[in-house]
Amino acid sequence: MKCILNTGRTVPQGASVEHKGSELYSTVASACFLNPVDMMMLGIENGDRVRVTTPAGHIVLTARPAEGVARGEIFVAIGPYANHIISSETHGTGMPDFKSQSVDVEPTEEPIKSVGELMEAIGGLRYDRT
Amino acid sequence: MIERDVVCPFCGCLCDDLELETEGGKIVKVQNGCSLAESTFMNDTRLPAPIRRTETGWEDISYNEAIKETAEILRDADRPLLYGWSSTHGEAQSIGVHIAELIGAVIDNTSTVCHGPSILAIQEVGHPGCTLGQVKNRADVIIYWGANPVEAHPRHMSRYTTYATGFFVPEARRERTVIVVDTRRTDTANIADEFVQIERGGDYAVFSALRAIVRGNASVIPRKVAGVSKEQLIRIAEICKKAKFGAIFFGLGLTMSRGKYKNIRNAIELTDELNRHTKFVISPLRGHGNVYGSNEVFTWMTGYPFAVDFARGIAFYNPGETTAVDILRRGECDAALIVASDPGANFPRAAAAHLAKIPTVVIDPHVNATTALSRIHIPCTAAGIDAAGTAYRMDGVPIRLKKVIDRGYPDDAEILKKIYDLLNGGMGP
Repeated sequence: MKCILNTGRTVPQGASVEHKGSELYSTVASACFLNPVDMMMLGIENGDRVRVTTPAGHIVLTARPAEGVARGEIFVAIGPYANHIISSETHGTGMPDFKSQSVDVEPTEEPIKSVGELMEAIGGLRYDRT
Repeated sequence: MIERDVVCPFCGCLCDDLELETEGGKIVKVQNGCSLAESTFMNDTRLPAPIRRTETGWEDISYNEAIKETAEILRDADRPLLYGWSSTHGEAQSIGVHIAELIGAVIDNTSTVCHGPSILAIQEVGHPGCTLGQVKNRADVIIYWGANPVEAHPRHMSRYTTYATGFFVPEARRERTVIVVDTRRTDTANIADEFVQIERGGDYAVFSALRAIVRGNASVIPRKVAGVSKEQLIRIAEICKKAKFGAIFFGLGLTMSRGKYKNIRNAIELTDELNRHTKFVISPLRGHGNVYGSNEVFTWMTGYPFAVDFARGIAFYNPGETTAVDILRRGECDAALIVASDPGANFPRAAAAHLAKIPTVVIDPHVNATTALSRIHIPCTAAGIDAAGTAYRMDGVPIRLKKVIDRGYPDDAEILKKIYDLLNGGMGP
């Protein structure tokens, strides 16, 4: 299903933002809020996983229903999950399209990656000794 | 021990009425703060000591070694990028600018992916704003546009707007009309008197329609503009014109959406239009605790608020070219110093990935996503928790952050000063 990806802050994201290696942060930053009607069209339930794809790549997220999200849109908290698929093009302004990235959403059985795994996918090495 | 009037350094509200209870050098209770403040003070897990990435993992190193190696990385770089600065105090930010000037670096702060476009608009048409105290005491019409303070600035409405008792609005909520404009029905929208749900990317058109109506040209407006009915637009314009004092607060819904800084320019021009009828102000809801301060400090020292390039030996500013995401996207920088921020998590993947290809040094109290991309991470104090310093609230009011406890970490300003001294042959800034 073609959608527009919107990102923004949430309280759980803000409260765990300094603990990016935690399971809690991973859970809140990898939640994908969809309109319940769109979830029905995709044949998915609360807690099912979706694969969200853009020309920049793809990411697996957990679907959560949200009445406030318009049909044809998805909402993901700002962070490494959303940024994994957002284009780095800024159209000469310095600001990427954090709120208007076109995406393709489909159901999947693939697992959710941790923040450490996402960073290692781009050449990083996680530090988890704290 | 009870510490009163503590400032929370998390978001741009910089709430300065917190009460913290400390016991044996630890914070054990936070009062008056929101859940973000509580988490900031209570769940403050730090990186214990400087670390360096090796072939096989991570090793602990001394502060002296980490500082020396950082200075060497910066000295050897042809095009270093110094990025972040918004979660620390002005004292550290100013040394950052001195380092950038000394080594001909690009220095950028987090407003580049936050309210950078708002600054571009303000540079075009000015900023009819005021302090939050004025809004609290006078505003009877509040508009949140593309902003969700319930989630991002949880006490904004209780301290300054919707629920705050003001000198000229003693009945608080009963005397204030709250309008929320958003593409999503957020929790903020749920408490609004008027919720205007617009189609994604329709902000510019809706501002233009409101400007036309306020000018008395409602007849040119079609039945619907970006999903908003003409009737509602006329109603909103009337509420605004009848206000004694109106205040618009806008968020990243405008800066990150299609049109970017042009959306904000149109919002400011609507504010200008409304001032022909009554008093109206407009201000961005700034995110990081001291992101406004980074704009202030950069501007005093270089003339520009962010994205400042010293490669020419003078300050040069060209957002879209000298902004951090663009420099990383083009793979242009050959070393990076990241202070008090987390581009690994907050930049698009292609930009963040470049940090792992070059020697990147992080100076930050916490392990974050950028740690994994770095070569060296140096832990430091957190401004407002174990370091005092100056921060700027979202309305430009400087507030002194307090040192509440001592955790034995060096101040980031102190670390940066040592790096500067090494780069400058022992001479301070």
